[in-house]
Amino acid sequence: MNNNQKKRNFQIEAFKHKVVVDSKYADKTWKILEHAIHEIYNHNASGLSFEELYRNAYNMVLHKFGEKLYSRLVSTMTFHLKETSKVIEAAQGGLFLEELNRKWADHNKAVQMIRDILMYMDRTFIPSTHKTPVHELGLNLWRDNIIRSSTIQTRLLNTLLELILRERTGEVINRGLMRNIIKMLMDLGPSVYQEDFEKPFLEVSANFYRVESQKFIEGCDCGDYLKKAERRLNEEIERVSHYLDAKSEAKITNVVEQEMIANHMLRLVHMENSGMVNMLFDDKYEDLGRMYSLFRRVSNGLSTVRDVMTSHIRETGKQLVTDPEKLKDPVEFVQCLLDEKDKYDKNISLAFSNDKTFQNALNSSFEFFINLNPRSPEFISLFVDDKLRKGLKGVSEEDIEIVLDKVMMLFRYLQEKDIFEKYYKQHLAKRLLLGKTVSDDAERSLIVKLKTECGYQFTSKLEGMFTDMKTSQDTMQGFYATHGAELGDGPTLVVQVLTTGSWPTQPSVTCNLPSEMSVLCEKFRSYYLGTHTGRRLSWQTNMGTADLKATFGKGQKHELNVSTYQICVLMLFNNADCLSYKEIEQATEIPSTDLKRCLQSLACVKGKNVLRKEPMSKDIAEDDSFLVNDKFTSKFYKVKIGTVVAQKESEPEKQETRQRVEEDRKPQIEAAIVRIMKSRKVLDHNNIIAEVTKQLQSRFLANPIEIKKRIESLIEREFLERDNSDRRLYRYLA
Amino acid sequence: MRKEDTVKLISAEGYEFIIDKKAAMVSQTIRNMLTSPGSFAETQHGEVTFPEISTVILEKICQYFLLVSPIRQYVLSRIWINPKAF
Repeated sequence: MNNNQKKRNFQIEAFKHKVVVDSKYADKTWKILEHAIHEIYNHNASGLSFEELYRNAYNMVLHKFGEKLYSRLVSTMTFHLKETSKVIEAAQGGLFLEELNRKWADHNKAVQMIRDILMYMDRTFIPSTHKTPVHELGLNLWRDNIIRSSTIQTRLLNTLLELILRERTGEVINRGLMRNIIKMLMDLGPSVYQEDFEKPFLEVSANFYRVESQKFIEGCDCGDYLKKAERRLNEEIERVSHYLDAKSEAKITNVVEQEMIANHMLRLVHMENSGMVNMLFDDKYEDLGRMYSLFRRVSNGLSTVRDVMTSHIRETGKQLVTDPEKLKDPVEFVQCLLDEKDKYDKNISLAFSNDKTFQNALNSSFEFFINLNPRSPEFISLFVDDKLRKGLKGVSEEDIEIVLDKVMMLFRYLQEKDIFEKYYKQHLAKRLLLGKTVSDDAERSLIVKLKTECGYQFTSKLEGMFTDMKTSQDTMQGFYATHGAELGDGPTLVVQVLTTGSWPTQPSVTCNLPSEMSVLCEKFRSYYLGTHTGRRLSWQTNMGTADLKATFGKGQKHELNVSTYQICVLMLFNNADCLSYKEIEQATEIPSTDLKRCLQSLACVKGKNVLRKEPMSKDIAEDDSFLVNDKFTSKFYKVKIGTVVAQKESEPEKQETRQRVEEDRKPQIEAAIVRIMKSRKVLDHNNIIAEVTKQLQSRFLANPIEIKKRIESLIEREFLERDNSDRRLYRYLA
Repeated sequence: MRKEDTVKLISAEGYEFIIDKKAAMVSQTIRNMLTSPGSFAETQHGEVTFPEISTVILEKICQYFLLVSPIRQYVLSRIWINPKAF
């Protein structure tokens, strides 16, 4: 035993070996060890004394024979491995891998035993001479003699690849064996695994999938193909988890994605009768979802899907808004738009997992095609009008909110929001004055939503309209409180006083009211002007309604609900039995278009014909004459004679409205220009256009030519001036 | 102590020292001997022979094991070596 200690009182000398040191000694010792190694390899190790072998190895290293020991060890192990290699090569067919596996396990055990015996050499001799430690040496020798032996190398690779191929075609293979063999390759070093197995494996797989994808795509439709692709992908992932190196997963999935998906992406998406467009059409959520998750793995996959969806939406949308059939009924039209939006929302949430980029694509497409039709703002307003008149009758509060929210969503897509405002005002005025709204709360709720979206300015006039209605009620109460006694038996008057600025401007026309009514109206006028000085009242006779009781020839009594014009006409018949068109026109002074419409609804509508017309044609001619229809009957006591429902405008009306909107835009553009120039002082032409467009974006799309005209006008009025040196530069004049 | 927990260390003169296995495992060499795969004689019989280590030395070795090992049952504060024993 060697004992190196610090110098103390006594010195312990090195132990004197009772061994003869000569060259033969080394050989003798080695012989013992060699014999032991042989026995180990032949599974005969029991009975050997570890201590003896360890001691021998120790002695050899100690007496500087380590080099000999090491080199002899290498040659012995190599010899044994060569023997092993022959045995493995001799194995037939399926037993090849099993034999390899068994021998590998044996080898590992042997190497460990050898290492334990030669531990001293491993710890002292090897580090100082920078040789490979025993364990690693074992791996390297195995690699060089077995794995990289010319016969075994190719055979091993081919066997492995063949097994994988068999598994891919549906056979069951021995996965445990595969796992052990692959693990062996991994243990031998990452380069062995990659060079000897992984690279060829990826190549072969790529070929396999290339061929298979070609076969599938010829034979299957899109949905089936995607199912198959997904299945193969999952298979590969499972294979890796069972018996391959985890790092291979990314590589093999990449191969599958490349061959099965990326190479055929466009063909799949545009496949006839089963491609993406058809899937969208038929709401095939599962297939679309699968397409989404598969294409997401490939670069450009999702953008391809998104582009197809976008162009499809734009196509169908464009067809929708230019289809003359649909355009006949605005409510139908808007409902179709809402249905489309719902459909795609559902698609995106179910199939595309609420991907934000898809949502954005959807929004931009809708914005695109809704604005293709210049009448969209009008139609949307009509849709709302229809809902607020009758569509939402009896619907619960939450459902009302849902419908209104959907309308708001369409509103957001409009570029020309000011046109919508104009139409909405018109329709709202009619609804309020004729008392036609289904729910006051719904109306207010929509106003609040518009306010949140567009700001206070947008809705101030609309709110003014509501306020007027309320004030009028109070005014009427006051009127009857003071004058109630003297009016007594006369006709009852209900007046709505409208502030001119808030309500849509109407050309004010008056007509001749029957005497009973005009007296009452005058009384009201003096009452009102008594309480409010400095105001002017003018009667809007084209918008009023009246109830009157009528007794017909056979004594039937009915209560008729008619418009103001109609009551003027009817009251004339109190004093005359038969009147010609001209006489009526003269007496009432109602404008001719309105008069014609009024007479039509009184005489030509089945079930409501309180007047008789001669001749009995449908249209009103100048020389028609009218009589009271004594044979008028109706099931109901109260009869409503048709009042004009908000219709989509005729051509001239449409032109007029648009013109008015254009006129309204001019001051808005000018205000924007002045605002911008005031803060910037100096700005060039292009920048002004850009800024103005941006500022007005929330209301309408500003036309650059119009902006230019406004700038010219402002220059004339000396708000701006052109710069002397640079014609494109504008300067603000204080 | 159970037989499975002990190991026999035999000196050159034939003296047998039976000590706790965990104590003996303090030595890497002995640990390798006892845990090596394969059926060496040592593992089979649970005894290790040291034909070149004398009894006295082996005794000191055993005491060292007990001093250093994680087993706290034996309390030895030091080992006394008599130089004349060699």
